[in-house]
Amino acid sequence: MIGNDIVDLKIAALESNWKRPRFLDKVFSKQEQSLIINSEIQSQMVWLLWSMKEAAYKIYVQQYGERIFNPKKLTCELISTREGSVNFNGNQYVTKSEIGDDFVNTMAYSEEPNTTIIHRFKIEDTSYKTQSNAVKQKLLKSFSELKKIPLKNLEIKNDKNSVPRLFHNGIKQSFSFSIAHHGFYGAYAISINSSFQS
Amino acid sequence: MEKQALIAKLKTIVEPYIQDEDAFKSLSENTDFVKDLKINSANLVDVILDVEDVFDIRIENVDMEKMLSVKAAMDIVNEKLAAK
Repeated sequence: MIGNDIVDLKIAALESNWKRPRFLDKVFSKQEQSLIINSEIQSQMVWLLWSMKEAAYKIYVQQYGERIFNPKKLTCELISTREGSVNFNGNQYVTKSEIGDDFVNTMAYSEEPNTTIIHRFKIEDTSYKTQSNAVKQKLLKSFSELKKIPLKNLEIKNDKNSVPRLFHNGIKQSFSFSIAHHGFYGAYAISINSSFQS
Repeated sequence: MEKQALIAKLKTIVEPYIQDEDAFKSLSENTDFVKDLKINSANLVDVILDVEDVFDIRIENVDMEKMLSVKAAMDIVNEKLAAK
C-alpha cells in the first residue's frame, strides 16, 4: 500500500508555530527532536519528519481501518533526507521524500516500493473544498488514462475513516492510492501494480 | 463543567483552525475535528495545546490518541478537571 503527504513550507510557517511550548514534545521522540535541533534548516526537518509520519499513518488507516492521533508513536529513522522508514504498532513503512524550496513531499510504502505514479502540482486556490476536488479530479483523470476506461464511470468516495476509495461503475476498487493537499500544493500517488475489478 | 459551556469553550478554541465553515456553524458534540471541521493534523496538535492552556490541564499522548471529536475532547477535559 501507499501513503502520500505534502507540506507547503510557506503556508506551514504561517499556520503552525512548532516553536510553541510543548509542541515538539507532543509530536517527536527525543531522537527526532535532536535531529531537528541539529539541523541547519530546522523547520525543514520538522516538516520532513512530520510528512513521513503522516504518509505512514495514511497507510496504517487503510490497513487497519482505525484512526489514532498520536504522531509521536510513529517513529522515524532517516537514512538520508530522501530515504527513511517509520515504525508504528509493529509495522515498518519505507519512506521516500522530496524536498523543494517550498515543499516537502513524502511517499510511504508498506512493502517494497513498486511502480508508482506520483504527480505533484500547484493549486491556485487554497480553500479546502477546491483543493480536495482538484486533487481527486486529477487522480481520476490519470487513472482513466492509465486503465483506458471512461472518466464518467469512475468516482471517489471517502469511507468512514475518511480514506478515499475509488469506485468503477459503483464497484469498490481495492488498489492503493493516496491523495494529499496543503497550501498551494496538491499531490497524488497510485500504486499501479494493483489489480482492477470491472 | 456544564456541557453547553464546555462545548462553547471548545468551539472558541478550534475556530482559528477550521477549514469547513458550515460544519463549524453547526458544531455539536458529535462533530469530528478532522472529518467535519477539516482541521489539518498539525493544527490538531495546536488544538490539544490550546485545550491544555485554556483549562490548565496536561493531556498525555495516550489520551490524545482518542481526541478526534468534540465528544472525546469533552470526556478528556472533564476527566482531567475532576482529577485536579
